[in-house]
Amino acid sequence: MIGFEFLIILFFASIMAGALGSIVGLGGGVIIIPILTIFLGVDIHFAIGASIVSVIATSSGAAATYVKDKMTNLRIGMFLELATTAGAIFGAAIAAYTNSFLLELIFGSILLVSLVPLVRQIGEDIPANPELVGLAKRLSLQGSYTEVDGSTVNYNATRPERGLVGMFAAGLISGLLGIGSGTFKVLSMDLAMKLPMKVSTTTSNFMIGVTAAASAGIYFARGDVDPFIVAPVAIGILIGAFIGTRFLLKARNPTVRKIFAIVLAISAVEMIVRALGA
Amino acid sequence: MNLGDREAMNDVISNVLRYGVLISAAILLVGTVLLVVDYSFTDSSVFLGYIPGRIPHSSFSPSLSALALGVAKLDPFSVIELGVIVLIATPVSRVFFSILLFAAEKDMTYVKITLVVLALLLFSMLVTPFIPAFHA
Repeated sequence: MIGFEFLIILFFASIMAGALGSIVGLGGGVIIIPILTIFLGVDIHFAIGASIVSVIATSSGAAATYVKDKMTNLRIGMFLELATTAGAIFGAAIAAYTNSFLLELIFGSILLVSLVPLVRQIGEDIPANPELVGLAKRLSLQGSYTEVDGSTVNYNATRPERGLVGMFAAGLISGLLGIGSGTFKVLSMDLAMKLPMKVSTTTSNFMIGVTAAASAGIYFARGDVDPFIVAPVAIGILIGAFIGTRFLLKARNPTVRKIFAIVLAISAVEMIVRALGA
Repeated sequence: MNLGDREAMNDVISNVLRYGVLISAAILLVGTVLLVVDYSFTDSSVFLGYIPGRIPHSSFSPSLSALALGVAKLDPFSVIELGVIVLIATPVSRVFFSILLFAAEKDMTYVKITLVVLALLLFSMLVTPFIPAFHA
């Protein structure tokens, strides 16, 4: 394949990945990694390095808009980043002593299982608003945003301790496997903390950039970030994120939840397939 | 603009992210144009060789002086590397500015939370690459 062809294919795949990632709160690795490894025959290490860059691009590109429109909850995001960054460092430290086959199998299965509660509340718009108590109250883990129809949605977070545990796991996975962990972040905020779906995906989106930046140093130093690959990826992702954010701001929570469920199923299967080496 | 205002925080953070992304995109675009000019008809496999035994595995400049020299000569790979560094620095600056903004709001709890996040982040980015145990 000549260089130009390679760049163009990757560029358009990245636009798609950026659009999808910015809507559901992931970094687009779910699209970028298989395109690179299966269709373009790139080594998995380079694919993961590209995925890290794509996560940072999706996050920063989309969050610029979501933060301005007050869809992202900055306090919830900052508080949970304590757990994701700590988890990422711990994961990177123990990665040498773990078996990635087993990890991918376990995490893939967890994702598959978490489809059940997600699908059970598939049509849910705004979760029942719990009272703000305990740690959530002390840290003012609450907020409001404006819905498509102009109404204001107020929400309170519940069970922040469980959210922290989920986020530590999300960080751990990033550190161990080098893949984005937006799926686990969205699940923690959605299932444990009962935030509205759009707040969960946009706050996840805000956070994944920091988790990815935390592990970027090591991938950069190893030389897993290949310029020929990441240039079209980063530019494509940024364009895609611009498109995706416009979509999310006009979409309803149930729509976002459905798209997230589909992407979650795909990434679960992808992880399990990779583990089994099929 | 009153920085102690909660509304101001969203605007500042949003702008930090927007400018970071725009600057990096502009640099990456220049790098990609140079890449297309120089290597469009070169077989892509030339750039994709992964060398397991050698660090770094790819053609990114290992040192800052090599990077600066490459950028000055408009070497496409060096220009792209610079763009990627700006991109990676963007979420880090976002965390840094959050500390200042929480301080302006006099929300000391969040100043502390964000300081810990920044410390963990910088440790992970800048220190762990030099600890052999992290080179799995």
